[in-house]
Amino acid sequence: MNRKLTDKLATLIFTLFAAVIVLVLAALLSYVLYLGIQQVSWDFLTSKSSNFRAGGGIQDQLFNSFYILLWTMIFTIPLGLAGGIYMAEYAEDNKLTAIIRVCIETLASLPSIVLGMFGLLVFVNTFDIGYSVLSGALTLTIFNMPIMIRTCENAIRSVSPQQKEAGLALGYTHWRTITTVLLPSAFPSILTGIILSCGLVFGEAAALLYSAGMTTPNLDFGNWNPFAETSPLNIMRPAETLSVHVWKVNSEGIIPDIRDVADGGAAVLVTANLIFNISARLLGSWIHRKLTSK
Amino acid sequence: MVTVALPETIETAFDVQGLNIFYGAKQAINDIDLSIKKHEITALIGPSGCGKSTFLRSINRMNDDVPGFRAEGLIQYDDINLLTDNIDTVALRKEIGMVFQNPNPFPKSIAKNITQPLKEHGIRSKRKLTEQVETNLRRVGLWDEVRDRLDTSAYSLSGGQQQRLCIARALCIHPEVLLLDEPASALDPIATAKIEDLLLHLKDHYTIILVTHNLQQAARVADSTAFFYQGEVVEHTDTEQFFSNPKEKRSEDYISGRFG
Repeated sequence: MNRKLTDKLATLIFTLFAAVIVLVLAALLSYVLYLGIQQVSWDFLTSKSSNFRAGGGIQDQLFNSFYILLWTMIFTIPLGLAGGIYMAEYAEDNKLTAIIRVCIETLASLPSIVLGMFGLLVFVNTFDIGYSVLSGALTLTIFNMPIMIRTCENAIRSVSPQQKEAGLALGYTHWRTITTVLLPSAFPSILTGIILSCGLVFGEAAALLYSAGMTTPNLDFGNWNPFAETSPLNIMRPAETLSVHVWKVNSEGIIPDIRDVADGGAAVLVTANLIFNISARLLGSWIHRKLTSK
Repeated sequence: MVTVALPETIETAFDVQGLNIFYGAKQAINDIDLSIKKHEITALIGPSGCGKSTFLRSINRMNDDVPGFRAEGLIQYDDINLLTDNIDTVALRKEIGMVFQNPNPFPKSIAKNITQPLKEHGIRSKRKLTEQVETNLRRVGLWDEVRDRLDTSAYSLSGGQQQRLCIARALCIHPEVLLLDEPASALDPIATAKIEDLLLHLKDHYTIILVTHNLQQAARVADSTAFFYQGEVVEHTDTEQFFSNPKEKRSEDYISGRFG
């Protein structure tokens, strides 16, 4: 009787904890979305922000967020894959590997504002790239790389060792076993990891304040020459992202509709993150189904 | 002067002499000698941890990456000591195929499980690849069961079918030897019977070494049986003789179920 009671009690307590978590999340989400959705309109998404007057949109900031995300992923995915493959398949179990692991973990837990300062000192100042898409993307690469390395390493390690043995026993070299057996099997988890970290990168603000900057030149969406000063594609121009914009409007904006722009921006950010997370799940399970069943 | 014509003895595939295998400080194989004949099925039996799998995996060097693994002695194959440091494991494993305890087809289509290893070993011609899929699936008796769904995932097959696919995959790159590590222990009796039947057919063309926990299986399919116990080969002899009239007391105890 006593044991049964304890069991019931434990179930109850854990259900309560789960409920609290879900409630907090649901409250937060619905609050942000409720306030924001009223501000979000096609016009809000496709008009330029305004510095003084009410009624500005977030077009450039939204574009910048995606554009910096794109470059970050171009840098991060190869680095993360290479690091993950090394850690999972080549690193021997010794002191050096242990040190590398500590480095990666430390890097992963650095406050992003510290990384932002690092980006300012190294990319913006020392390399003299200035506040730019490139500086921002490089800074976010450092921010995201440890996560990518760990994601790839775990994905490769979670492939059944029997798959690896199958490849080796068929006379594949270690490298070919990695590329033809391990990576394809690890691909769904790697892809899910990439999309999830897209969400993190997309929402990051602190690391970008002093690397991608807090301004955007007057972008001309008719000009796709990547070297033109006002071209959206130019990677050497400053690029205020959406999350930086939300922060800036809130903290130092002088427009009369601060609250509206901030609410709308927040809602768009949250929605984008939701889309990233949900699509990661759907895509992951879709690929898994495709690989394992008929 | 009388020249002695070599009698029609069956040739030796593997000649093992003074083999010692260690995992760190622990000795897994203790100074064994063993001769394995070509085109026969040799069963390796013995209780868990007796070293039979360790021995099997040393033949195609699958233990090389195990930390602390060290092998001394001779595993002679065609005048080559397979334990030599500079052996080309890629060529070796192409020559000596392996099938594992749990079926491990690649998570790809049935056909690709055959074509991928072939491509890996340099066969590009589409016609040849298609032809090889059929040849090898026929060889394991799987062709008629799957001919209509070659493009479906190998995971849609039953366990026994998956294992036969793995055997076909091992055979498609034309090995001389097939190492099987308890290939039927995860299968039901009907699937097991099919695998055993297949092995009996294959032994005309391949040298087969079969590790098994199932004594009846060894008695049913093997030409000779080697009994491993605590890292030593207690007895290696003709299967019929081994089960009906073992020389060693420990063999008798084992087959009558007194330990193990």
